[in-house]
Amino acid sequence: YRYSAPIKVDVEYIQGSHDQKTRVEKKGVVIGRMPIMLRSCSCTLYGKTESELAKLGECPLDPGGYFIIKGNEKVLLMQEQLSKNRIIIDMDKKGNLNASVTSSSERIKSKTIIQMENQKIYLMLNQFVKKIPIMVVMKAMGMESDQEVVQMVGRDPRYAALLMPSIEDCAKEGIHKQEQALAYLETKVFCVVPLFCYCLGVEGLEVLSGEELHTPYSFLVLFNGNILGKHRKPQHFAAAMRKLRRAGKIGEFVSVFVNEKQHCVYIASDGGRVCRPLVIADKGISRVKEHHMLELKAGVRTFDDFLSDGLIEYLDVNEENNSLIALYEEEATTETTHIEIEPLTLLGVIAGLIPYPHHNQSPRNTYQCAMGKQAMGNIAYNQLHRMDSLLYLLVYPQRPLLTTKTIELVGYDKLGAGQNATVAVMSYSGYDIEDAIVMNKASLDRGFGRCIHMKRYCAVNQKYDNNTQDRILRPNRDGFDSGPMRVLDDDGLAAPGEIIRRNDILINKQVPIVTRGQFKSALNDSEFKSVPQRYDGPQGESCVVDKVALCSDKHNNLCFKFLIRHTRRPEVGDKFSSRHGQKGVCGTIVQQEDFPFSERGICPDLIMNPHGFPSRMTVGKMIELLGGKSGVSCGRFHYGSAFGEPGGHADKVEAISETLVRMGFSYDGKDFIYSGITGCPLQAYIFMGPIYYQKLKHMVLDKMHARGSGPRVSLTRQPTEGKARNGGLRVGEMERDCLIAYGASMLLYERLMISSDPFEVQVFTACASLINLPSRYFPLHVNKPFYDVIPTLPSQKPNIPTLTKLFSHWWTVRILSVFI
Amino acid sequence: MEGKSYQRVPRVKIREMRDDYMKFELRDTDASVANALRRVMIAEVPTVAIDLVEIEINSSVLNDEFIAHRLGLIPLTSDRAMSMRFSRDCDACDGDGQCEFCSVEFHLRAKCHSDQTLDVTSKDLLSSDHTVVPVDFSDSAGMESSEQKGIIIVKLRRGQELRLRAIARKGIGKDHAKWSPAATVTFMYEPDIRINEELMDMLTLDEKKAWVESSPTKVFDFDPKTEKVVVVDPEAYTYDDEVIKKAEAMGKPGLVDIIAKEDSFIFTVESTGAVKASQLLLNAIEVLKQKLDAVRLSEDTVEADDQFGELGAHMRGG
Repeated sequence: YRYSAPIKVDVEYIQGSHDQKTRVEKKGVVIGRMPIMLRSCSCTLYGKTESELAKLGECPLDPGGYFIIKGNEKVLLMQEQLSKNRIIIDMDKKGNLNASVTSSSERIKSKTIIQMENQKIYLMLNQFVKKIPIMVVMKAMGMESDQEVVQMVGRDPRYAALLMPSIEDCAKEGIHKQEQALAYLETKVFCVVPLFCYCLGVEGLEVLSGEELHTPYSFLVLFNGNILGKHRKPQHFAAAMRKLRRAGKIGEFVSVFVNEKQHCVYIASDGGRVCRPLVIADKGISRVKEHHMLELKAGVRTFDDFLSDGLIEYLDVNEENNSLIALYEEEATTETTHIEIEPLTLLGVIAGLIPYPHHNQSPRNTYQCAMGKQAMGNIAYNQLHRMDSLLYLLVYPQRPLLTTKTIELVGYDKLGAGQNATVAVMSYSGYDIEDAIVMNKASLDRGFGRCIHMKRYCAVNQKYDNNTQDRILRPNRDGFDSGPMRVLDDDGLAAPGEIIRRNDILINKQVPIVTRGQFKSALNDSEFKSVPQRYDGPQGESCVVDKVALCSDKHNNLCFKFLIRHTRRPEVGDKFSSRHGQKGVCGTIVQQEDFPFSERGICPDLIMNPHGFPSRMTVGKMIELLGGKSGVSCGRFHYGSAFGEPGGHADKVEAISETLVRMGFSYDGKDFIYSGITGCPLQAYIFMGPIYYQKLKHMVLDKMHARGSGPRVSLTRQPTEGKARNGGLRVGEMERDCLIAYGASMLLYERLMISSDPFEVQVFTACASLINLPSRYFPLHVNKPFYDVIPTLPSQKPNIPTLTKLFSHWWTVRILSVFI
Repeated sequence: MEGKSYQRVPRVKIREMRDDYMKFELRDTDASVANALRRVMIAEVPTVAIDLVEIEINSSVLNDEFIAHRLGLIPLTSDRAMSMRFSRDCDACDGDGQCEFCSVEFHLRAKCHSDQTLDVTSKDLLSSDHTVVPVDFSDSAGMESSEQKGIIIVKLRRGQELRLRAIARKGIGKDHAKWSPAATVTFMYEPDIRINEELMDMLTLDEKKAWVESSPTKVFDFDPKTEKVVVVDPEAYTYDDEVIKKAEAMGKPGLVDIIAKEDSFIFTVESTGAVKASQLLLNAIEVLKQKLDAVRLSEDTVEADDQFGELGAHMRGG
């Protein structure tokens, strides 16, 4: 179940009482098991070649980095946290200015907030119950005179003005001396952090007065949020620190950041800062030279050598603000401090799949990053040996015609998640509004968008307390239930390769009737009841039993797992998407002969409405089409890496157009097209070419649902909700409005009053109040006044009119309900 | 409208003909007829294709449906298809594929015994009828027949086995693309290109060359001897208007006049190999005739006259 290694400890302990002490040593005591990260240096798969991995049944493209716990793959997730020991200034809901800092050391953690409310400054600390005026705190710390406080804060009259209301406030409270302040606080003041090294000319805090702290010509030096002291030449200091880092004297992830505005130098070595490697440039000239690269190619030099030789360094977000980073070496000026190693590394794996992302509107790239994860494809070379609870695969996945460098680096070209569809950007049939796409039936026949849906079903052979257990029986070959049992093998389990339909039996299981109490040995047939597990797949579809696996669960019960496979071809309503955040459902499927064609005989697989372009501004998609078209006609995969044009990792549109013209196409990617229905040429040239399309895992077959009558919730007697519970569909306010507007009042009456939970109450018209009595107390006439009932408790039998005659009417009213 | 005849006599001229490729001209007719011919060739000329697969053993990496789908798409020689019966219309059997009038049985047995992967191809399909076999591409591709091994169905490694029985039936491309005998059927209007020589003479040599170069396809050429621009291949013109735009850009609108001849078409037919390209055309005409007959027959009834009105009368009167 678990891929883990034992944690062994050498234990030494002292045995015996006072005089007879003996030292006992035990070596290699197992105190627990630690999960092993796959493909880490402790993993058996570490350093294996492709063929060795294949022998072990592992996929060479799997990057590892996850754990296996109880048979499930688990990943460590990153969490975002507010940085510790940093002062964060923000505005709260009431509009008060807050400066807060989470102070954290190995032992203690606390949060300090300085708040400005009504011009007055307060301190908030969880040790104190209430807000403390800032002057009280100052006085408690020993700054008894206001003069001293003002000096400490800074002599600028602006600061004094800010403090005035607080000073007044403090005086009103009558606190003047330290003792008074301390008494006010009734808590202790504890002392501060140890000090660090000052060799680089940082003047320590203890030699500085409050006044000196605020001199404008020296900078405050902070290490991980703690004040170290002051430095007069911050740039010098930062340069020296960086030199130390490049020389490897201090860690490579230490960042040095000079904040001119705050007159501070921040040095950070703590975790959680995202760092990126960049090439160091001296006055715009890259430190990485030709011979370095040759050495890298020859294998003499590694990435770490570049780091230790000070050619490359890591920068965090803060230090990036102190640098001028050129995207390319050619763009470097004398001010440039760093050069990107390769601009496509700006993006990660998922965004790296988008061709020409730098030509798209940025939200489109964001959408694609969310959608790329829903695309079907192949997941690994060993995907068919897996028993996932749900797996979507594509029957004929392809490598994108328009690739990026990232695609090649992550192996996406070996396990594609889409297909290159020839797309015509035009309007067709009206079934293509609102991003719907029109698909070519012949393309679907030939395998476009065909997918395999695998779902796992489980059954357990349960053991019970009274020593009994479930049993699995040989199926009835004829007679009762032989129909749904036809997929069963002689062992009573569904056989792999059998075609299975809804309500067929997966496992012919029997459960003992008595499962508690006394121990029982052998049971006879009459002490079992049949509980076969039925397959609840989609109605009318034929699925196949792909695999059956037997294992034991955590209570040591025998466990059966069935993998049911269903091959699906696209249908109206299935969701597709290109790599540019342009999703759409299949609006209609059209015969090939009705599809437009070019005089070369090219007929699109898919028609996309041009209205998808102007507002989305996905220019990258258009370039992908051009590049794909030229790639397919000249026989070379084209590239579209992010910001790759100057570096040669993306083909330029000019070059693509030239190729297109050379291959006899128009430079703009548009083709002269004939209508397949009439045979006449279309009025416009059509933008047509291949675009990589992904099939997304949302398919109508899994969502489609309707019902007539069905189950109801026992509490309210209203229809259940949701597809899984065969629930009703809600006729809500808006649906009701539609029916009213349409004039279908009888339908509305039937749906709301009769089909759901018909319910009647009595209304007393004089005061319009409802009374809820069981209907047996009332005659069955609707909306007919009657006089023979008085409102009494339901337990009592209503007696014949006494009061009622005084009143005019009782009306029976039907209450509407919303689920039908 | 009585007495007026719309009859035309279309002419066909074959330009090029190979087993799987044909190019011909269709003249003296209009787009509706040309398109009808194209549509019938794609969707309604019957062929034979594998439709039912019974898998006995399949230990390959591809699942049963996957293999069945691949088998279906293999083109089978279907010269007999026109005379075969559709399984649904067959009275000799109930369409369960056991009869010789509507179906052909195939067997496939393959097992890999060596360490090398075994390619199972369409050549391994054994037919019960020698007239319906998987299409052989070896000679037309110009390769040696020992090298060319047919269409790969699946690859097997040591110990894997595939054994199945398949039944091929007659069908049309409308029902499933596997029954379509056409790989490509397309036509274009024949362009009529006229160069305005007067304006052309006003151009300099470089301008003429630039103008010739502006067409993405090689329609025009510059003759260095006569220093004239000549039309070398009018059919290479893709109606892209590039030369017209170029002429306008050079300040010579009307330099060339290109019109599509509304009544002549150049067809390109590529066959999957199920039937020869020439036979495909003949079969398509036959199917088209049958369809027209169906309309003509129903025209005897009153409803049909209501339905087709003038068209019915037209067809009756000829």
